Amino acid sequence: MSGIPVIGIPRAMLYYRYGLLWERFFETLGVSTILSSPGNREILDTGAARAPDEGCLAVKMFMGHVESLIGRCERIFIPRYSNYGTTALFCTRYEALYDGARNIFRTSGQRFITCNIDAQNGSPEPKAFERFGVELGFSPKESHRAWKEASRALEQQKKAEEQAQKEMIRNPGIKVLVAGHSYVLSDPYLGKPILDYLISSEAICLRTDALEEETSRRACAQFSPTCRWIVSEEVVGAVLLWKDRVDGIVLVSAFPCGPDSMTNELLIRRIRGVPVLTLNLDTQSGMAGVETRLESFLDIIRFQRGEMV
Amino acid sequence: MRQQRKVALPRFGEYNCALKYIVEQGFEARCILPPPLSRRSEDLGARNSPDLVCTPFKTTLGSMIEALESGADTIIMVPGGCRLNYFGELQEQILRDLGYTFDFINLSMYNTGKKTDILKALKVMNPRCSMVKAGKALYDAAQMVEHLDDITSLYYQNCGFDPTGTYPKIYRKFLSDMYAAHSLSDIQEGFRSANHAFADVKLHKPHNPIRIGLIGDYFTVMDPFSNLELEQKLADMGVEVHRLMNVSNDMLRSGEKNKQASIFRFSEYSMGASSTTDIWQAQYFAERGFDGLIQVKSAFCMPETDIMPVLANLSETYKIPVLYLTYDSQTSDVGLMTRLEAFYDMVDMRKKVER
Repeated sequence: MSGIPVIGIPRAMLYYRYGLLWERFFETLGVSTILSSPGNREILDTGAARAPDEGCLAVKMFMGHVESLIGRCERIFIPRYSNYGTTALFCTRYEALYDGARNIFRTSGQRFITCNIDAQNGSPEPKAFERFGVELGFSPKESHRAWKEASRALEQQKKAEEQAQKEMIRNPGIKVLVAGHSYVLSDPYLGKPILDYLISSEAICLRTDALEEETSRRACAQFSPTCRWIVSEEVVGAVLLWKDRVDGIVLVSAFPCGPDSMTNELLIRRIRGVPVLTLNLDTQSGMAGVETRLESFLDIIRFQRGEMV
Repeated sequence: MRQQRKVALPRFGEYNCALKYIVEQGFEARCILPPPLSRRSEDLGARNSPDLVCTPFKTTLGSMIEALESGADTIIMVPGGCRLNYFGELQEQILRDLGYTFDFINLSMYNTGKKTDILKALKVMNPRCSMVKAGKALYDAAQMVEHLDDITSLYYQNCGFDPTGTYPKIYRKFLSDMYAAHSLSDIQEGFRSANHAFADVKLHKPHNPIRIGLIGDYFTVMDPFSNLELEQKLADMGVEVHRLMNVSNDMLRSGEKNKQASIFRFSEYSMGASSTTDIWQAQYFAERGFDGLIQVKSAFCMPETDIMPVLANLSETYKIPVLYLTYDSQTSDVGLMTRLEAFYDMVDMRKKVER
């Protein structure tokens, strides 16, 4: 044993969605892991220097996290999430992360490991994790059990989040629905300042990623039948389900997010009766511009509610 | 009785001749050809599209508007592997918001994984059409696409070395033959005569000309308007231009999974949409000692951006220069010319050193 953890997990992109699943999986199998530190300016800058210029902000952040893990673990874990079937796809960026990182950091000597979730080509999630476990040196049975336990934990967490959100919505006060991908909203450098600002302005923040997947995806399927990206479907579905119960919607996306560029436009065109603010986050630093826009957005809501006469 | 539909598809390179053939011969509907793409189509599209969407969305939207202006009452949009799959729905919404009245056949609605669903789309186009006839027309159109791609690639490989200037004339004649074709024999006749005419031209080709391979996103690399006639510009400099990225190679003769196996060292899994084909083609060109590679992509194209590190790796491994071109809705080609000339000079100098 070399004394360093076996697996390194970049704390970015789908970590904010499936992180618990991965961690629990490794934990159950007894594999030591290391998690990169929470996102900050420095990580983003190193990532932006490494990733293609035209890539999206989230990919730049991701590559920064990968770079920070190099040499600190035996293998860096970059799962490839492709699809859960013909009508449940992921954005092509998640498909490309593993091979992208392998090519970007080709001279570093770092080893990478992936778990390929691609139901269209005979590798659905349970099977993918089984194979992944075998690659790590465990039996298929052990790996399957670990995956099962992990996915149960993820489900419970999701349910708890939804419950908490449902209780929040009963409180009086201005309710703002913040719509966006989990890796943008939860990232301490990207989306967290937005949520913090809203909370400090005494607004109740609801999040689209705290709803149960199936419910919101079903709502989206009727509204926009050809939207096939799971994550976008959830955002759209959650907006549809909650729009009548909130005072305003903030659409947060990372520049230049492919799916968001289209689904957000569709939402703006089809949703009536609720004020909507679109925020595009870029590599620029400083919150002043965003704060001004949030402040005036909250003012509009207060005017509508008759609180600022 | 319902009137005959007037069907239109947005302009996409010269492939509209095959689409026209399917619509007219297969479904017995009228095909409205939108005007060739122009500055106006792009402006119309860009003005009404979201900012951060890729350029093909804007161009095709502009072309749809021009098709509606030309009298079409039905618009067809195709599905795809990236954002393209979602184009139709958003474009329909934008056109409706603009106040246009039309029927929209969005093929990605029928792309559900069940093969029989796509037949439903055909029935929508013309409920009384015969499946046999439609099948025959699809087969003929596939042949037309193959011939078109063969002639096009022959044209750009050689037209830079034709001192008489007859190459463009033959190519234009061939295209107009394809647009006018009514049967398989028309298609084959047009192909044969173009081939013969090309063979009759005496070329002044050096023994070892500069060869440049083009790769890129599905729309921009195949559509001469969108890439500011990149191929013609290169050919005029005296370059043998090779482009494997075309509809016949990517759809009719695909073999994508096996391509993935041969590019294992660069990319283990598909990186989405056109990426596997692109990397495979780049490797193909590099292995055959091409002098340069050009990646042609539209701004914000997702898979093409993601394969840039792979191309950088490939360029280092095979010692082949790569020029990355990103096209936004720009209309002036001065910047492009400067970059192309510089790239050409560099490739030319490298070649002289090698000799």
